[in-house]
Amino acid sequence: MNETRKWMLHRVSAIIVAPLFVWFYFSLISLSEKNYQEAIYFFKNPLFKILAIALFFIGFFHAKISLSEIFEDYIHNKKIKNAANLLALLLSIIIPVITLILLIYKI
Amino acid sequence: MKDNQNPISPHLQIYRWHISSLLSITHRIAGVVNLLALILMFFWLLTFSLSESSYELFLLAINSFFGKFILIGFTWSMSFHIFSGIRHLAWDMGYGFEIKTANISGILVILSSLVITIIFWLLGRGLI
Repeated sequence: MNETRKWMLHRVSAIIVAPLFVWFYFSLISLSEKNYQEAIYFFKNPLFKILAIALFFIGFFHAKISLSEIFEDYIHNKKIKNAANLLALLLSIIIPVITLILLIYKI
Repeated sequence: MKDNQNPISPHLQIYRWHISSLLSITHRIAGVVNLLALILMFFWLLTFSLSESSYELFLLAINSFFGKFILIGFTWSMSFHIFSGIRHLAWDMGYGFEIKTANISGILVILSSLVITIIFWLLGRGLI
């Protein structure tokens, strides 16, 4: 990805993900003192599912770009840096995909 | 060229602390902590989809003393990263570069992140 585009996408993803993150985290805090039965209504809401999927995909995309910036600054060994980047990339794909599958087929 | 001869980024331990440098590194650390918070939210969904008993176990963990400590910490890192991020976006658009402005906005970021953390918990627990 070209660097200017990466810079721009990093900012755009930040603006999208910030409200989603606040909303999702707020939901976790509000539901943390309620039991499973009370949480079902919340989790089964289609709007919740769509927003949660967006949060995980865009959030991990934002995190991947950011982590690569951090690795670039602090890891000097090229092999370790590449391995770290690969790990971050895999993480940023696998977790959102699992979330998508869970939300569509399991919840 | 050998890898270890590359120029490296500024050493945190060497420079005298300023609001600017303190907030810069805290922004990064808070970002990484937010990633951990997102992973926790992933486990929230995962345990819910597995079974009722695993979800109850998850709730037990986050409602323990240590769990609450982590959750409040995540709330602060989320608020801080967002306020600090807005400050960064303002810089990206060319505003707020004067030293005095940057110091004031930095202090505002710290104060508002603390205030929002408190309000967030009071609202989230239905106390206000």
